[in-house]
Amino acid sequence: MNQASKKLTIPDLISIGVFTAIYFVLVAVATFACALLPGVGNILLPAVAALICGSVYMLLAAKLQKFGGITIMGLVMGLFFFVSGHFVLSFMANIVCGVLADLVAKMSNYRSKKGLLASYVVFSYGLTGPILPLWFMKDAYIANLTARGKDAAYINTLFAPINSGSFVVSMAAILVCALLGGIFGQKMMKKHFEKAGIVA
Amino acid sequence: MSFRMDPRAKLYLLLLANLMLFFHVGTGAEAAATALFLLLFFLSGRVRSGIRLSILYFGLLAIDLYVVPRAGEGLLLNLLSLVSVGIRMMLPCIITGAYAFSTTTMGELTSALRKMHVPESVIIPCAVVVRFFPTVSEDYRHIRNAMALRGIAEGKAALLLHPMQSLEYILMPLLMNGNNVAQDLSVAALTKGIGLPGSHTCMTELHLTVWNFVYPVLCTLPLLWKGVMLP
Repeated sequence: MNQASKKLTIPDLISIGVFTAIYFVLVAVATFACALLPGVGNILLPAVAALICGSVYMLLAAKLQKFGGITIMGLVMGLFFFVSGHFVLSFMANIVCGVLADLVAKMSNYRSKKGLLASYVVFSYGLTGPILPLWFMKDAYIANLTARGKDAAYINTLFAPINSGSFVVSMAAILVCALLGGIFGQKMMKKHFEKAGIVA
Repeated sequence: MSFRMDPRAKLYLLLLANLMLFFHVGTGAEAAATALFLLLFFLSGRVRSGIRLSILYFGLLAIDLYVVPRAGEGLLLNLLSLVSVGIRMMLPCIITGAYAFSTTTMGELTSALRKMHVPESVIIPCAVVVRFFPTVSEDYRHIRNAMALRGIAEGKAALLLHPMQSLEYILMPLLMNGNNVAQDLSVAALTKGIGLPGSHTCMTELHLTVWNFVYPVLCTLPLLWKGVMLP
């Protein structure tokens, strides 16, 4: 692979595709794991995914070390979320977070551990897309119920778990889990890939 | 001959299903549009998944129509209606997604993306992702076999006992192999001329037939109908 080239080459693009596929499979695993927890499961989906995807992200970042790779990963992720029937917002969230994460990683030239960790945390927020409708659909459902003559106060107690409080908890959980997942990923990189000479 | 829809029309339908969720069209309009989406499954010869999804959607609709007026103050019935409405509102998106996913071949998708002038740097990863999914599941089986041979985490539940260890032992070989496959694919694709400049041709030629316009318009009607009625 041509290390001098600053632009993404065809092998780079194919690597992005391969790692995005693994990432997507892991997110699917996280979705099933969360589906086992009734009720609160969905809210924690991005956090669980962030916990297990760290090594994929770190390997990709270390392999490419070029601007654009993480952006394209976010874009392709968003596209596949959209095509597999997720909310259109997940498309937007993935792209925005992909670009931001790429910029954060670029600031440290894709080398510093802290920089990559920060960029992974940013990227993980892209996964909030699939669960955002929970907070949107709540309004739709309440409107639906109110239109049928239900008591508004009663409806509010029904929706106690899905409020701004749980939103904050969910976002904080992503932060913590992304940090843990990222550190785990970097450890794995050091243990397996740097020794084998796959990445510098 | 079964009806084949252009991927661009499918993308439009996906967008439409999302818009319906976003603008909360009424139950009637939603059911009409969803029925049209479900019809696509039967037209393209996927009768079984069509029937399964129809039963799910209309079953939930029936629960909703029957239970919610009778729910009163009982917590159980209210929870039931909450679940049924919640899942039902997501279903149009999932139905169109399942349709798009299960009936689009790789060639069609690439061809459609090229016609939409999506840059090559996005098309290639997309194609690789689709190509790589079966490899992941195959690798996973191999890895589990190798682990069982060494007596690590035999059986399904054993993976959950040591989640960190399982993650490391499964993910690392997967990534290693992914790395190798990426190199092999690059060599193969470059040999076939993927890196050449200029516009590329596709094996699959796409033509937008009349039905690719008629059907999406038909599906838009329920949304418009509600949009005109509401304001």
